[in-house]
Amino acid sequence: MAPTDLPQATPAPFSRPARGPSPKTAPALLEARNVHRVLGSGDAANDVLKGVNLAVHRNEYVSIVGASGSGKSTLLYLLGGLDRPSRRDAAGTPFDPPSRVLIDGQDTATLNDTDLALVRNEKIGFVFQFHYLLKEFTAQENVALPMLKLNRIAKSQAMDRAAMLLKRFGLADKLKRRANRLSGGEQQRVAIARALANEPAVVLADEPTGNLDRKNSEIVADLFAQLAAGGQTIVMVTHDNAFAERARRMVTMEDGTVIRDTVTLG
Amino acid sequence: MRWFISTRYFFSHKRQSLVCIAGVTISVTMFIAMLAMMNGFTDKFIYETVESSGHVTVHDEPRERDTQILERFTRSPDALLAIERTKPRENIKQIKNPSGLIAQLRRMPGIVAAAPEVTGEAIATYGTKHVNMQIVGIEPEQQQRVTTIGDDLKEGDFKRLRTTADGVVIGSGLQKVLGAKLDDTVVLTSNTGGRTSARIVGIFETGVTPVDYSRAYMLVNSAQTLLDKKNVINRIVLRTDDYTQAEAYAAQIESICGYRTESWQEASANFLKIFKVQTVITYVITGALLIVAAFGVLNILIMAVLERVNDIAILKSFGFSRSDITLVYICQGLVIGLIGATTGVISGKLVVEGLRRLPIKVEGLVKSEGLMMSENAGMYIQAFCASIAIVILAAMYPARRAAKYDPVEVIRGAH
Repeated sequence: MAPTDLPQATPAPFSRPARGPSPKTAPALLEARNVHRVLGSGDAANDVLKGVNLAVHRNEYVSIVGASGSGKSTLLYLLGGLDRPSRRDAAGTPFDPPSRVLIDGQDTATLNDTDLALVRNEKIGFVFQFHYLLKEFTAQENVALPMLKLNRIAKSQAMDRAAMLLKRFGLADKLKRRANRLSGGEQQRVAIARALANEPAVVLADEPTGNLDRKNSEIVADLFAQLAAGGQTIVMVTHDNAFAERARRMVTMEDGTVIRDTVTLG
Repeated sequence: MRWFISTRYFFSHKRQSLVCIAGVTISVTMFIAMLAMMNGFTDKFIYETVESSGHVTVHDEPRERDTQILERFTRSPDALLAIERTKPRENIKQIKNPSGLIAQLRRMPGIVAAAPEVTGEAIATYGTKHVNMQIVGIEPEQQQRVTTIGDDLKEGDFKRLRTTADGVVIGSGLQKVLGAKLDDTVVLTSNTGGRTSARIVGIFETGVTPVDYSRAYMLVNSAQTLLDKKNVINRIVLRTDDYTQAEAYAAQIESICGYRTESWQEASANFLKIFKVQTVITYVITGALLIVAAFGVLNILIMAVLERVNDIAILKSFGFSRSDITLVYICQGLVIGLIGATTGVISGKLVVEGLRRLPIKVEGLVKSEGLMMSENAGMYIQAFCASIAIVILAAMYPARRAAKYDPVEVIRGAH
């Protein structure tokens, strides 16, 4: 499917009111305050993030770029509550000020596993490079799963909404197809639909085009652009400069720190 | 939601799931069949013992006190007490005023019938065959009210004890050993020197081998003469309204009459102990089968977890907590357990019915024309619940292991 074939985002019920970037004075949707992440321990300790400060506001479309190992994905997982920042350095000294991640004002350090999972369910939509669909489930069921987990609507409603999302992404004829019988591009579109299932506050995408061919990469890039235009907050990690430059803000990382934070033409 | 995922996982690996279910089914079936067989054997023995020998027996001797005389007077637990060469008190060899005692016992609530007996040892001689036997002198009409010995008669009639001088009713085992037939005459010699030629007027078969191979019934008067126990009654056999309460009745009667009174449980204590051990062994064996089945479930669920590490990561990414992931796999175990236990209970019932109908002659401690199967609802519930509990326990480890996966590590690993 060519990018131009994609339906417009504006009339869809899950699209958000199109607004310009939030003023920096408004509370950030995602915020990293002096975030450190130390992997391993002792001599094998690796400071992946070294005091990152970053705030993402509502309706922003942010791309995070940088060389491999610069800490982009680690930062993304921390911002999405999939991981927690380190409290101490390799020597055991607490970070000062403390390493904190806030999601919609909630400090992830104060949330237990269940509460943090609920935050991810309600507010975050993840898209990964390798799609990670549940292969025993159909495309429609994969998209419905986060809604069933949130349990705010009946199963039939969740399935209807999943069907609507998939139709919007040009997968109307693939609803009942098992995930492992879809092409790579189709799987990634299903994964994006799933990320949007619960109308999350933010979509976090980790190399969403990293495993796709050029044509499918274009489709995904267009989808993201449409979502952003519809008011969806998006933070994505990518190596693809052309894709990154379509975001309105580009954060560049190097060696575990943010070295540049620029507004692009989008 | 968890069930939705669990059942989908379950059906996506049908072959593995079926192997798990088969394991649980087989172990539940074996559990039920073996327990039914053991219970059947025990029940048959108890029933035949109770019905052929009475529920409670009053003996012609006082109950020996467990406590030595010095201990009765010196209560200090630190006292060193020593009595040497103690001898048991001389037994009273008969029950005094047996008819009065029988009348008194019959008036007791819960006592259905009472019958006097005189017992002793004798040797039966038939041709060149000599067999030891226990002579039981009875009043046939009263005896048939306290036991079902009248129903166990294979040949002859108990009434003929009244019409035949020195008639004897012998067990089928004794008849087999002696080689004598109905109406043959055997010579009975007691250990006190009494001797008589007795005509076999009946042959009984209780199904309890020790009884059938040792016991012979005569009229009280004839037995008293043979055993040189003139006018002696040395046992009173009682039937109660509830044989399971025989121990309580025995204790009550003993406190009233002062004679050693034995319930059927006490009389068969050794056998009952063996049955208990046998039951424990049955539980151990069938429990081991269940554990083997549980290991099958454990193994397959571990494989399922390893295969679905990515699924676990993605489920966590969109909001599944550790406990949600744990429950997904426990639910999967529960599905296996529920199906396996249900099919196991059904096949267990079919196997029990099949075994019951098998024409196998059993002759050991008890004799039967087929396998004795005794079942009850509790047994099925026990098998059902135990199998599900064990399968859930087996699912716990892979479930907890699945829950512990760090989604970030999984995603990094795939990169």
